Amino acid sequence: MKHIIVAKRGEIMIFKILKRDFFRKKVITIAVFVFVMLSALLAASGTNLLIDLSNSLDYLFKKASAPHFVQYHAGDIEQKQIAEWSEANPYVKSQQTSEMINIDGAKIYINSDLSESDTVMDLGFVKQNRTFDYLLNLDNEIITVNEAEIAVPIHYMQSKDLSIGDKLVIKDDNLELNFTITHFVRDAQMNPSVVSSKRFVVSSADFEKLKNGTGEIEYLISFQLIDRADLNKFSNQYSRSVLPKKGPAIDYQLLLLFNSLTDGIIAVVIIIISFLLNIIALLCLRFVILLTIEEDYKEIGVMKAIGISPPDIKRIYISKYFVIALGASLSGYLFSLFVNKIFSKNIMLYIGKAPKSIFMSGIPLLAAFIIGLIVVFFSMIVLRRLNKISPVEAIRMGNTGGNYSNNEKFSLYKSKLLNTNIFLGIRDVVLRFKFYILLFFVFILATFIIIVPLNLLNTLQSEGFVTYMGLGQSDIIMDIRQSDQIVERFEEVKTYLESDLDVKRYSPLVTSTYEIMNIDNLPESIYIETGDLTVFPIDYIEGMAPLQANEIALSYLSANEYEKQVGDEVQLISNKNTRSMLVTGIYQDVTNGGRTAKANIEPNYETATWFNIYVDVDKDIFKKIQEYELVFEDVKIIGQKGYLEQTFGNTIEQLRLLTITAIIVAILVTVLITSLFLKMLIARDKSQIAIKKSIGISIKDIKIEYITKSLLVLNIGIIIGTLISNTLGQKLFSVILAMMGAPKFKFIINPIEAYILSPVMMIIIVTLTTLLSINSIRQITIADINVE
Amino acid sequence: MNIILEAKNLAKTYLVNKREKHVLKNINMSIKEGELICVMGPSGSGKSTLLYNISGMDKMTAGDVIFNGTGLGDLSEEELSRLRLDKMGFVFQQINLLKNLGIIDNIVMSAYMAKNRSRKEINQQAINLMKKTNIIELADNDITQASGGQLQRAAICRALINNPEIIFGDEPTGALNSRAAREVMDVFHTVNSEGTTVMIVTHDVKVASQSERVLFMMDGSIVGEYLLGKFNRLEDNLKHRERKLASWLLEMGF
Repeated sequence: MKHIIVAKRGEIMIFKILKRDFFRKKVITIAVFVFVMLSALLAASGTNLLIDLSNSLDYLFKKASAPHFVQYHAGDIEQKQIAEWSEANPYVKSQQTSEMINIDGAKIYINSDLSESDTVMDLGFVKQNRTFDYLLNLDNEIITVNEAEIAVPIHYMQSKDLSIGDKLVIKDDNLELNFTITHFVRDAQMNPSVVSSKRFVVSSADFEKLKNGTGEIEYLISFQLIDRADLNKFSNQYSRSVLPKKGPAIDYQLLLLFNSLTDGIIAVVIIIISFLLNIIALLCLRFVILLTIEEDYKEIGVMKAIGISPPDIKRIYISKYFVIALGASLSGYLFSLFVNKIFSKNIMLYIGKAPKSIFMSGIPLLAAFIIGLIVVFFSMIVLRRLNKISPVEAIRMGNTGGNYSNNEKFSLYKSKLLNTNIFLGIRDVVLRFKFYILLFFVFILATFIIIVPLNLLNTLQSEGFVTYMGLGQSDIIMDIRQSDQIVERFEEVKTYLESDLDVKRYSPLVTSTYEIMNIDNLPESIYIETGDLTVFPIDYIEGMAPLQANEIALSYLSANEYEKQVGDEVQLISNKNTRSMLVTGIYQDVTNGGRTAKANIEPNYETATWFNIYVDVDKDIFKKIQEYELVFEDVKIIGQKGYLEQTFGNTIEQLRLLTITAIIVAILVTVLITSLFLKMLIARDKSQIAIKKSIGISIKDIKIEYITKSLLVLNIGIIIGTLISNTLGQKLFSVILAMMGAPKFKFIINPIEAYILSPVMMIIIVTLTTLLSINSIRQITIADINVE
Repeated sequence: MNIILEAKNLAKTYLVNKREKHVLKNINMSIKEGELICVMGPSGSGKSTLLYNISGMDKMTAGDVIFNGTGLGDLSEEELSRLRLDKMGFVFQQINLLKNLGIIDNIVMSAYMAKNRSRKEINQQAINLMKKTNIIELADNDITQASGGQLQRAAICRALINNPEIIFGDEPTGALNSRAAREVMDVFHTVNSEGTTVMIVTHDVKVASQSERVLFMMDGSIVGEYLLGKFNRLEDNLKHRERKLASWLLEMGF
């Protein structure tokens, strides 16, 4: 009976403690709730996005009956030969050869008077396929079109804001065809924006007209296999066969990758952000628990003294965090149901809606629940501190147990630092650092999310980035446009430059397609830039430039693919002759899929794709560009900076947006957490502040102490954050860029932005936030604590 | 003797549950230089509030306090802080040492903040004060490693470090046993005999009987004054002074 009464009294006391705890720490308790909720929301949405992505892709690929292997071929084919080979092949389930007419954008008008002449897309016109690789409409049904009707890729529906009934015209000197848009095409093969070819569906009759009238035919030799697991064996067999292969080949894996790239990256980013928020939530929580324990130190001691068992005490505290964790993760999940639609919009449009099982719907709930569980588990770990409280000490000393005054080494009396306020601030941070971890982590995080995009942006914008594009540094780049007289035009420009006195040096380089024998001893086409490569030397990560006609430099990815190192030989096929080339150097290149080569050999004009001339001038570059633009027709002339801008303009624009967003988010999180933290700190230090004020320490002096604390933690945070950005952040991107062809990627850092502007910005923001947050010092008087 | 501190029509009103509570009503009093004065009165009579208001710790509602010719009502918060730091010392019932500093750090801190003298000079004075109050062996100790009496003596050292003109004691012996209380009072007497003015708020007749003059407060007003005369520890009979004071207090309704 006595035991029950004691316990009851204890519980009432605990309830009072928790109630008071909530009201005293309203703001930070709400902050913990919000962070856990956002974290749960993003975890649920991220997983939901991944599930939607794979589910919808599966469904689309099934409905469209996606091909497992497609060989593009520009040239004639022998369908009988293909059919016989397929018949004999043990892996093939079905084979289909379809024709695609590639039409120049200049001849196509999509609901506009302006043609598509500037497009970077290859526009292909096809009939609906017969046996597989179907082109679907937005309801995932196989499209059928009548004469004068056309189905247009979703990409155009979005970029040109098209609707059913809009017009499309194909027009050149000897043909004009008018179409009405009746469907939009969901194309398992060419949907993603990263794929630069798009398929339009027309009727058989219109297809014949186009075929006879305009454009070039490309064949899609497609296969479906009995078992997709045999894909590698099959593609090896195909590449060894005599079947046509003038063009790229793609397979099912690649299609999956392309289709899931954009949304997959978004999903991963969302999940990463969710984890970061969760870490912030956990640190906030830890901070609240530490504060609560310090404040309730005496009460906890009393509870222990009157016989309430430690697990009972712990359980009551846990119950509060359990309610927060469960409530926050559940509401996070509920919110995610609304947010999901926004995140999945792109998937729903491009890949389509697919039926979902209950199991799949349950996974995001599970993800949110796991976030809540982590929070509960974490608070249990932090609450282990309760065990350490000795009732006797707690009651006798009556204070917080968080003292650290007995530290002779860090005594004010022995300090040499002249300013006492600054010394006290530093001393508190150093001796009580575990208390400041929340702030410290947030400052590191804020620095990281500002510096990494900033450095990346600066790297992409800097002229030094050409290093990763297999280019040397030059003032001007000329690009002779494709035409029938391109070779003559090329020679004309060279002659002009030869006699131009302003030209310091120039180097004409032609990029043509050759074939190199790969490790399976099969010819594989590759872009080789030919000419004198020593005029505008590039950086080689190994070796040096090829000088002789039997020497070649390989890009990093080519060298990896052919398994060659400097000093090895490769077999080059040019004009049907095979010759041995000595690898003299390996360089970084992210262009053309990262697979290129350079050699000082004669160009192959028949397969030449690009005719470039690199020029260094003595005069003002801009004026020279203007002069050349007047002299040469059909030549694109740009400064190197302009070249980079054109190539990466879009990426830079997006990255700039991302950088600004990152800076805003970093500032918001910094301001929020700094002000929360300081308000709590002031509440905790109330009695100490009151004592200082009573004996005549001025508010200004006390403020200096608190600003010292924030700025010390901030500066350590900035230093560590910057170090992590420049090591881990750089590593992160070098892994990605290594896949693209530049393994030695290094941030090109703008020291003023990264090391002066952004730290100064953070210092100003944190100082102002601190000043605003500690203003309550003014209201604290000795009467407050003596009454308690 | 010169008047060091004077309260003129001093009033303090708090708002409690939207109702005005007059804690100090029209107080007029003065303290002479070198005096040891006590303020007594029942709980809630306004003793501590009086101390907070005449020392500039709290803002008065009406009237003024003149300290050495300066009206506290005209001073900014910053100036009041500086005045307390340089010219006043404080000793509280709850001792109120800073818990995160060691004992000697607590003593030297306010002198370091005042920046009037070199650190060497301050350190030497701190050591002298601690020797005088018999706590020198605790210099490097944590405040949890000392008894209540020792801590209160450390607090007195802190109050004296800037050579104040007046020391305020708010129930300085209230939390101490009789022996510790005696030791603390001995320190106050020593300080007072060296010329520092002392004003103590207390419940304790034994403490008050050692003062020159006792003010008695009730309901926010000073209702009586009792002159005991300077206490000489060697010659005067403390018991006798105590009895006289006690009978007066009884008359006053204490």
